[in-house]
Amino acid sequence: MRLAFWLYEGTALHGISRVTNSMKGVHTVYHAPQGDDYITATYSMLERTPDFPGLSISVVRGRDLAQGVSRLPGTLQQVDHHYHPDLTVIAPSCSTALLQEDLHQLAAHSGLPPEKVLVYALNPFRVSENEAADGLFTELVKRYAVAQEKTLLPSVNLLGFTSLGFHLRANITSLRRMLQTLGITVNVVAPWGAGIDDLKKLPAAWLNIAPYREIGLTAAEYLADRFAMPALYDAPIGVEPTLAWLRSVIEKLNITGAERGVPPITLPKLSAFSLDGLSAPSGVPWFARTADMESFSNKRAFVFGDATHTVALVKFLRDELGMKIIGAGTYMERHADWVRKELEGYLPGALIVTDRFQDVAKIIDDEMPDLVCGTQMERHSCRKLDVPCMVICPPTHIENHLLGYYPFFGFDGSDVIADRVYLSCKLGLEKHLIDFFGDAGLEYEENEVAPLPEVETFSENGHVASTIEVDKELVAEDGEMKWSDDAETMLKKVPFFVRKKVRKNTDAFARENGESIVTVEVFRKAKESLGG
Amino acid sequence: MELLQGSNYQEKHFMMQVSGDVQIIKEDNVTHSFCGLACVGWMYQKIKDSFFLILGTHTCAHFLQNALGMMIFAKPRFGIALMEEGDLSKNEPTLEEIIREIKADHNPSVIFLLSSCTPEVMKVDFKGLAHHLSTSDVPVLFVPASGLVYNFTQAEDSVLHALVPFCPVAPAGEKSVVFLGSVNDATADDLRAEAEELGIKVGGFLPESRFDKMPAIGPDTVLAPIQPYLSRVAVKLERERGARVLHSLFPFGPDGSRAFWEDLAREFGITLDLRDREKAAWEKIRSQTELLKDKKVFLTADTMMELPLARFLKSAGADVVECSSAYINKKFHARELEALAGVRVVEQPNFHRQLEDVTRIQPDLIVTSLMTANPFAGHGFVVKWSMEFMLMPIHSWSGVIPLANLFVSPLQRRSKLPAFDREVWLEGVMPSAE
Repeated sequence: MRLAFWLYEGTALHGISRVTNSMKGVHTVYHAPQGDDYITATYSMLERTPDFPGLSISVVRGRDLAQGVSRLPGTLQQVDHHYHPDLTVIAPSCSTALLQEDLHQLAAHSGLPPEKVLVYALNPFRVSENEAADGLFTELVKRYAVAQEKTLLPSVNLLGFTSLGFHLRANITSLRRMLQTLGITVNVVAPWGAGIDDLKKLPAAWLNIAPYREIGLTAAEYLADRFAMPALYDAPIGVEPTLAWLRSVIEKLNITGAERGVPPITLPKLSAFSLDGLSAPSGVPWFARTADMESFSNKRAFVFGDATHTVALVKFLRDELGMKIIGAGTYMERHADWVRKELEGYLPGALIVTDRFQDVAKIIDDEMPDLVCGTQMERHSCRKLDVPCMVICPPTHIENHLLGYYPFFGFDGSDVIADRVYLSCKLGLEKHLIDFFGDAGLEYEENEVAPLPEVETFSENGHVASTIEVDKELVAEDGEMKWSDDAETMLKKVPFFVRKKVRKNTDAFARENGESIVTVEVFRKAKESLGG
Repeated sequence: MELLQGSNYQEKHFMMQVSGDVQIIKEDNVTHSFCGLACVGWMYQKIKDSFFLILGTHTCAHFLQNALGMMIFAKPRFGIALMEEGDLSKNEPTLEEIIREIKADHNPSVIFLLSSCTPEVMKVDFKGLAHHLSTSDVPVLFVPASGLVYNFTQAEDSVLHALVPFCPVAPAGEKSVVFLGSVNDATADDLRAEAEELGIKVGGFLPESRFDKMPAIGPDTVLAPIQPYLSRVAVKLERERGARVLHSLFPFGPDGSRAFWEDLAREFGITLDLRDREKAAWEKIRSQTELLKDKKVFLTADTMMELPLARFLKSAGADVVECSSAYINKKFHARELEALAGVRVVEQPNFHRQLEDVTRIQPDLIVTSLMTANPFAGHGFVVKWSMEFMLMPIHSWSGVIPLANLFVSPLQRRSKLPAFDREVWLEGVMPSAE
């Protein structure tokens, strides 16, 4: 038992519905109390679905439990009658999982033919959103994919693209554009927009592309085992990874092509991948070499997110933008080993693995990075600290469901990410001017913090406390030292966006030197000692 | 085990005669709405020195952070005591450590302990638990809120229920009104000023915005419900304190406001004739009511504010083609039901049936949940989020214009937007529905 305010991953039911809401002709019936219906709102609101998500709740009321009534067969009949789904997935909720009902038997009572029903009764206390989504998707692929003739020309499946995915549509578009440029057909995208018939024809493709560690990978592995389909698991995020990805796609398809006597695909001139077909496909390589970006070499970045994006962003920031990585972490404990292996040599310390946002906020607070790449929650934590933050992965928020084309995948995605890094961080030459002259007239963002009660308490304690040791402990706990008025005035001359950091560093310096109050003199000494 | 079959909502639904010619059709409650935990969203903001602790699962946490968009708050005064797999085998949950953490971080005057479905299924003894965790300086109050029993707004009723012992007993002879229901401070000020102007002594609000300021309630208190989902606490106060519950219309719209204030004044021996005031209020929203006149409006059931909203729409000249609500209390809602004579009123509706009726009737406006608003809009209908009525100051005279505007604004907006070709502009938006 622990006190939770916010969680990175959703529930198993959420994972299940992300898959089924992506699909044509598939309906989910939750055997659950009324409250579980909130999941429907995540689709209708975040994705602004112009039709009813294929989700129905078979309401479990306290009275039903007392009377031993189950509405499930009736709900299944109603759903079948009104929506005629090809398949209805039945899922329990946390509370109904405890009832240990036989959902198969209840489903059978509906009279629906067994081939139209799938009971996906996993343990919602053990399995979370991504595992449930990946598991159900694999289950569906196993159930429907059938051996068949390959397509005549090179084709691929795009697997793991799922409702409420991060910049999902734009990523699909980016991949489609690149594949089109290579003359490769997309056989099936799944689960997003796929029906049962699409799942059946998955094995017709020459190659499976499953770029997300979280969802789709297990299905691609199954297809590799069962139908000997080659698969590509890399995520084309960043320019070099995109080039490597393109080469892999070509190489893998050409192996099949050679067996089938189809002429090999070649990598065209790279400008063919640009939006106008006439230019460099990405601005990132040149951008990273400009004098403007020189200042980024000293910028300290911290990355926290799911497995796929954490790995990709750390590599992009360090390898392509030349930034310093001061730490990284993931909330995907299941994939932590993979992340660790991928990021070997990239991180100064151990990979952080936690599902408590407070832990991550604490690290950001301690480190005060120049850039944080995180989830919506890190953005929120950073806002309080005045630390620049960009959102790089799910869970998605309404702000990640924008209308414009902002992929993270491919050359187009590299430009989007680099732009966001640039806009999030403080700028180059402008930064020097501000650093040197103090404010550059940018005081409007000043956010005066009222003295905290804790600080007051400390100053009182400071007078009565008899040993310095006690003082130190109190200061360390409360975090902030008392500052003299003169020192405060001097602090105001520091650019506003680094002021909090300077205050923090000075506090730490004062603490280490046994000072009980930051005076002008202490502040000067700190500046000297900490290098300005 | 009895197994309910699919057509049951048609066979099993039955008609209830209420009074006059009002009939309530009762269906099977296959509907789109939230559970009682939703009330945390406004209650923790209303009672400013409180903490709302939900004993629940990952689902409860995910609901609050998603559906109510609550992550925007830095240090929310609510949280989930998260039951994980290991906790399921324990007899009684141990919350001491969590309560300590809450007290240290938030220093609340009161902690509300809300039940949810999983511990309810496990038959956790919440009353005992709350009692055990209570101290004299920080009481822990049990609030039944589980979705197995309570919809959306209904758990506010439970919160107020839990607050009753903390309302001092007003001595006999102390005649005053206590308004029942949480509204924001500005609305509360309006209601208080209005009552005082009429010569009615105001005892306060249940709830007030601080735990130690709950109003005194006694045998000469008149309880004036200002939200339509608080029938249980009204009955409890009637029974335990001998307070009188005002049975009037709820103070929404010119018609509701007039009836509410006239009836309330009568309780205090004051005869009022607010005909002119009502007329003037209708006059103020004439352009809105002209637009609403004869418009077919469908309310699908969500927040339990549907009865008074439908009654206002009917008085404004709209054609309410269906007013559905998750729960209807024939006594508590008697006046509203009377005023809705001739309107199709459904309790615990079946959404699939509603969908068919909507297709057939083609209403001009649908008042509906967050789950269904965009899909209805995608089908070409004009929609209004039912939840918005809970977040806007629509009470009494000062609320008349905001109330009317809430209904009118989506109609006006639609008429201003250019023609929309569904085939063109919805292509690819939701591939699963194509």
